[in-house]
Amino acid sequence: MEKVLDWLDYRFGLKRSHYRFLQRRVPSDLGYTYCFGGMAFTYFLMLACSGLLLSLYYVPSEKEAFRSVVMITDEVTLGWVIRGLHKWAATLFIISTILHTIRVFVSKAYHPPRDLNWMVGVMTFVLVMFSGFTGYLLPWDQKAYWATEVGTAMARSVPFIGDNIMNVFRGGPEVSGATLVRFYSLHILYLPLSIAVLLWTHFHMVKRQGISRNL
Amino acid sequence: MKHDKRFYPDYLSEILATIFICFELLVILALLYTPSIGRQIDFLKPFQPRPEWYFLWLFELIGYFPGNTAVIGTVIIPIVYVFLLLFIPYIDKGEKGRLKAALVGIALLLTFAIFTLLSLL
Repeated sequence: MEKVLDWLDYRFGLKRSHYRFLQRRVPSDLGYTYCFGGMAFTYFLMLACSGLLLSLYYVPSEKEAFRSVVMITDEVTLGWVIRGLHKWAATLFIISTILHTIRVFVSKAYHPPRDLNWMVGVMTFVLVMFSGFTGYLLPWDQKAYWATEVGTAMARSVPFIGDNIMNVFRGGPEVSGATLVRFYSLHILYLPLSIAVLLWTHFHMVKRQGISRNL
Repeated sequence: MKHDKRFYPDYLSEILATIFICFELLVILALLYTPSIGRQIDFLKPFQPRPEWYFLWLFELIGYFPGNTAVIGTVIIPIVYVFLLLFIPYIDKGEKGRLKAALVGIALLLTFAIFTLLSLL
């Protein structure tokens, strides 16, 4: 193992360029509740991996979507496992994010200079909820269709411009194939990319400011 | 204060152990409770929609605001909820800041928890 690492290090200079990162000091009196943020990120990566695999077989069209989900579950090798991983990673991701938020709140880690990082975290959380909402439609079954019908109809209650907002969400007055494509695009492109950028900011600020201690 | 530890190898090994446990938990849940295939869309059959568990509280809340007041449940409460959460660092200002922030935080958490429970009853 040592030899393999040395071989790689000699060629890529891994230790040199990451020396400061690897040798940096971490407070040793942090409790296990400080794991929740890392756990959430772990599940985010697992969502990305399982999502990429699902996207190889999923077909985002009105006619094909339901059939492709049936195929992923029944025919594709281990497809049912990947689907299960994606679904459960989403649930565990949200649970860890809630626990992480509670931990940050209890340890008062939102005080300046970390106030902006708290806000970045809340924004990420909102986008995560939208990811859950858009992903729910993709199986294109009864449950998905009607949940989206009700969910997007909420926008209609806004005075004056409610119908316009709803049409933007649905890509038309009804939940249709256009809505499916729209939600698919949001779910696999816009939202994950935005979340990744926000998380990069989130982690970079933690690195700059250090981990907050209980006061 | 105790001595700090190094990221590598002390902290990194703990991180890897945590990742391993997270992955184990995920695999166990995914294998035990596989997601079922839903019913194909059929506009003739009535269907009672139900959102994912983290939206249940909102789904329950909407039920309390019929007709013209619907906008309170669908738009105003969610927006106020997010903004309160967003501005927690600025609510916690001054002498009793922490108390105010704690009340807001607990209220937000309870709103989520209570209405989720109500929707399950």
